[in-house]
Amino acid sequence: MLSLDFLDDVRRMNKRQLYYQVLNFGMIVSSALMIWKGLMVITGSESPIVVVLSGSMEPAFHRGDLLFLTNRVEDPIRVGEIVVFRIEGREIPIVHRVLKIHEKQNGHIKFLTKGDNNAVDDRGLYKQGQHWLEKKDVVGRARGFVPYIGIVTILMNDYPKFKYAVLFLLGLFVLVHRD
Amino acid sequence: MAAAAVQGGRSGGSGGCSGAGGASNCGTGSGRSGLLDKRQGLTVLPRLIVNSWPQVICPPQPPKVLELQWKIDDKPVKIDKWDGSAVKNSLDDSAKKVLLEKYKYVENFGLIDGRLTICTISCFFAIVALIWDYMHPFPESKPVLALCVISYFVMMGILTIYTSYKEKSIFLVAHRKDPTGMDPDDIWQLSSSLKRFDDKYTLKLTFISGRTKQQREAEFTKSIAKFFDHSGTLVMDAYEPEISRLHDSLAIERKIK
Repeated sequence: MLSLDFLDDVRRMNKRQLYYQVLNFGMIVSSALMIWKGLMVITGSESPIVVVLSGSMEPAFHRGDLLFLTNRVEDPIRVGEIVVFRIEGREIPIVHRVLKIHEKQNGHIKFLTKGDNNAVDDRGLYKQGQHWLEKKDVVGRARGFVPYIGIVTILMNDYPKFKYAVLFLLGLFVLVHRD
Repeated sequence: MAAAAVQGGRSGGSGGCSGAGGASNCGTGSGRSGLLDKRQGLTVLPRLIVNSWPQVICPPQPPKVLELQWKIDDKPVKIDKWDGSAVKNSLDDSAKKVLLEKYKYVENFGLIDGRLTICTISCFFAIVALIWDYMHPFPESKPVLALCVISYFVMMGILTIYTSYKEKSIFLVAHRKDPTGMDPDDIWQLSSSLKRFDDKYTLKLTFISGRTKQQREAEFTKSIAKFFDHSGTLVMDAYEPEISRLHDSLAIERKIK
């Protein structure tokens, strides 16, 4: 017979206390969600924090660095700036530097990017027949970074079982523990 | 209802034990000498029948291994004695139990319901933001998202104010109905505090008279070592008299007045 002593506290709770435990868990998840959405609104970018996955921007950014992005409409994109963009058809955004820009009178731009550590520009990565990127592909511009912290995210993505185990244990802890 | 089932289990269990023990160890030392067996056997037989009666009358108990009862109201409270919040919670719950069961007061859930409502509304805002953003991808959903985020944090602020000023550390509001049915209810409030890494537990009982709206309070501060044994089990025999004493001191004052 399993002796689930750690559940004893839960078994003694009445309905309201059980509901409060569930709400507690919900509020922690909601707080994280609201902070993320809040950052999205403030920065204007749909992914305000990204992790560098490859070494194509060394020595500026290494694999595992965390980047903070903003995507304000009023900031113009200029040559030499580091942008994070998404290629149509691919879901993982890429962080590279702007190499060339074509700009029209009305402000419409087309630009070409290249990773600092790459030998060639990104035309090989773009969609078939696409030679330039446009403003709509941009996820944001890098404004600041924190080194190494993103390694945790990379680990969690490479070993999804680890991620689910951590999340499950955290969830269980919050649900069972009072206050 | 749970108590009756346990009683039935206990007597059924003991009946089963002496019935299964057989003539050899029923009674006292009948197995000691083989010479006495025959005579003792005759006196043991009626005892066997009597002892096995409870087993027949009570419904058969399920085997122990399948007994997965969820509610454990009768099990003595055992917690990790070094975990401050578990200690405080168990003391609070037991005080609540004493007041509700011994004195038969009725719990008023108003304060708790208020807190649950605020939390539910906050989670509701979060869910709305999540669903809206999923249905209308980011740049279009900006105003709705901004609204939800601000509302969420406002609700968090309201929750903090509510817990600090309205609820304070009250964990029980109980009503005592007037026996004559004419006067409004008397209200008893329990609140407690236990500082982090400290062993002094303070329990405060507040009495608010229904008729005169006067408020009286009494409290005690004791070390938690007085109520828990070394394995972390709460000893109700030491705790309950304290609560009763606190309660009676307030009740007696009322009678004197």
